Amino acid sequence: MTASQSFTSPVDLVVSGIGVVTPWADAPVAAAGGPRPPGPEDWFDHRRRLGPRGYKYLPGATQYFLAATRQALADAGEIRQDGDLADEQRRGAAVGTNSAAVALHESMDRTVIAEGANALSPATAPYFSINLFGSRLATEHALKAFNLTLTSPRVAGFEALEAGARSVSAGRASWLLAGATEEALPAAHPGSAESERGAVALVLEPAADLRSRGGRGYGRCRARSFFLAPDGAASPQGPERAGALIDRALAGLGAPAGLGRFTGTGGRVVAVLDDSPVAAAVAAALGSGASRVAAGAGSLEPLLQVAGALAGLPGPVLVVTAAREGNLALALLTPTAARRAG
Amino acid sequence: MNDVLITGLGVISHLGSGLDAFWQGLSAAQSAPSRVPDPDARMDLPLMYAVPEADLPRGPERYGDLVLGRGSRLAVEAAAQAVADAGLGDVPPHRVAVVIGTGMGDSGLHEEWRTAGRPGPGPWSPVFSVASAVGSWFGAEGANSSVSNACAASGFGLSLAADLIRSGEADVVVAGGAEAYSRVALACFNRLGAIDPERCRPFDRHRKGTLFGEGAGMMVLESAAHARARHAPRSYAKLAGIGWSCDAHHATAPEPTGVQITRAMRQALAEAGAGREEVGCVVPHGTGTELNDTVESQVLNTVLDTGPDRVPLYSLKALLGHTGGAAAALATVAAAQILYRRTVPPNVVTGEQDPECKVFLPTAALPLAGRFALVNAYAFGGNNVSLVLQEAGV
Repeated sequence: MTASQSFTSPVDLVVSGIGVVTPWADAPVAAAGGPRPPGPEDWFDHRRRLGPRGYKYLPGATQYFLAATRQALADAGEIRQDGDLADEQRRGAAVGTNSAAVALHESMDRTVIAEGANALSPATAPYFSINLFGSRLATEHALKAFNLTLTSPRVAGFEALEAGARSVSAGRASWLLAGATEEALPAAHPGSAESERGAVALVLEPAADLRSRGGRGYGRCRARSFFLAPDGAASPQGPERAGALIDRALAGLGAPAGLGRFTGTGGRVVAVLDDSPVAAAVAAALGSGASRVAAGAGSLEPLLQVAGALAGLPGPVLVVTAAREGNLALALLTPTAARRAG
Repeated sequence: MNDVLITGLGVISHLGSGLDAFWQGLSAAQSAPSRVPDPDARMDLPLMYAVPEADLPRGPERYGDLVLGRGSRLAVEAAAQAVADAGLGDVPPHRVAVVIGTGMGDSGLHEEWRTAGRPGPGPWSPVFSVASAVGSWFGAEGANSSVSNACAASGFGLSLAADLIRSGEADVVVAGGAEAYSRVALACFNRLGAIDPERCRPFDRHRKGTLFGEGAGMMVLESAAHARARHAPRSYAKLAGIGWSCDAHHATAPEPTGVQITRAMRQALAEAGAGREEVGCVVPHGTGTELNDTVESQVLNTVLDTGPDRVPLYSLKALLGHTGGAAAALATVAAAQILYRRTVPPNVVTGEQDPECKVFLPTAALPLAGRFALVNAYAFGGNNVSLVLQEAGV
């Protein structure tokens, strides 16, 4: 399939596998909505979660995403044959992150300043490049269509869902692994109290493919991103503009009657927001009916809410998130006829 | 499907600021790296092709709580040039998107704060907010995306930007890439032994690695229908073909047979409808890294029959250095100029060409023979993207 054939009818993708790794829970519903006791510093044992060899020198966010991916693939229950190049070339991945590399970069920089570049570890030196945090999975699972890394503040996980799905519609793949991974910020950084550690991975397959192999999905998950400049959000017209953008994004996802109709017909809204003027404009546009969840420093919390909602999806759910920098995104979750529960 | 035209260009690099400075620099084909002016750059080879101090944009300083680093400022400056060049008038903000590729974002800002101290209290400043800064500058309300696939970031970004237009989600996308000096990135490349001590010399027999460069290349991508309706002053080229693949082979080394970069090139050429005889120029990834240049040369010979005297390569990194996440965008700006001006500029004279790299690197300007130009970009993680530009009016 080529791009010219495809954009007229986007591929109907269904989430068939969910993987979640957090310090407090790995079950999607508990990870999204349960209590969050602070985990021990060594909460993630890479030997137990990934294997005895080959993972020691990978940064934490890479390890978390590999573990979440394994969960998601096992959950999807698909059986693949090794060495099938055509199959490998139809599988793509898109990973979102904001803070996966911050602590590592800080540590590297302090080493350079104090001792010089020769004191850096050659094993971790390649990880100055943020895309390597989400790329080991392509090697491990032979994903040869593409391996995107998206990094917009807070919305990067939704951005991964959006860009990945659009790339499937463009004919570059017919199977998608999308998600987000984050590592904690150094303690001295502003925002470290809201640090995120963990990963979410989702497997998305064309509905027809899933049916043909006898699988059942959790539901559809379609994302759109957009932007409202902080100054505009802080203006008296900010909430109205945010509302218009949300309505347009919903229309783009096949819900043309907008937010009012969505909530009026029983749709549930979850808002993952910080304390910024952009978030305030979005909160005002969503109204008091939205369940509000405090955003973390990075892009993980919106994906946790998506994973939790998908795992127990009785009806449509809209997850909306916004960043202080102006990035906005939403994910519309809708059940499929033959739905599975998480 | 909506055709995607490049109707505006903006560029800032080691060659200076603006499209005229860029083309004059390409035509002169002379440049040299210099030592970075950072006293904390404790490494054996603290060299790069920096943006000249006189051309560095002094602002904007911030949008709301977002403090702009050097990467964001380069991007805003190049975006402003591209939008002015396109003569873009009033476009509904929700029909304008922004997509930026960057490998390090505003890491340099955090590095400055680490040694000089943060100027005041404030919330955490995300590293990858270059596209957010450009979105705020323009007031664009469509999709706003930051793509960080290392040295191919802006190639993937331009692809995603084209997708937004092809799918009808945007009429205009301000798209490209930006990269600024990062002490951490340069130190890590030093540690990996991947820095050439002399200059960036792709396809040279004695190449010893690459050398980084700074810069931003930005474009106004526009649906052909929108460009026609507003009587856009010009179209430099059509973004006609896109090919992606992933080696899934190694964190830093290319897959030596080149099977996946071959697939990306062929996809892009097929989508553009470009026969091998119609390709007039290739702007290769060509970094100066030993295996990368050899594999890319071999694949170009297989796919295009580039040979030692057939399709000219324009080896941009030999002039600008390796501009990381901005590299594909700057290569696309160069390719668009080559198609628009119907001239392949002279390659930098670097030394002795590697006999293993049987490609045509003319060192005198040539008239362009062909309607298409191919741009390649490859990255850590085995991420491959090829773009095909086609000559096209509005």
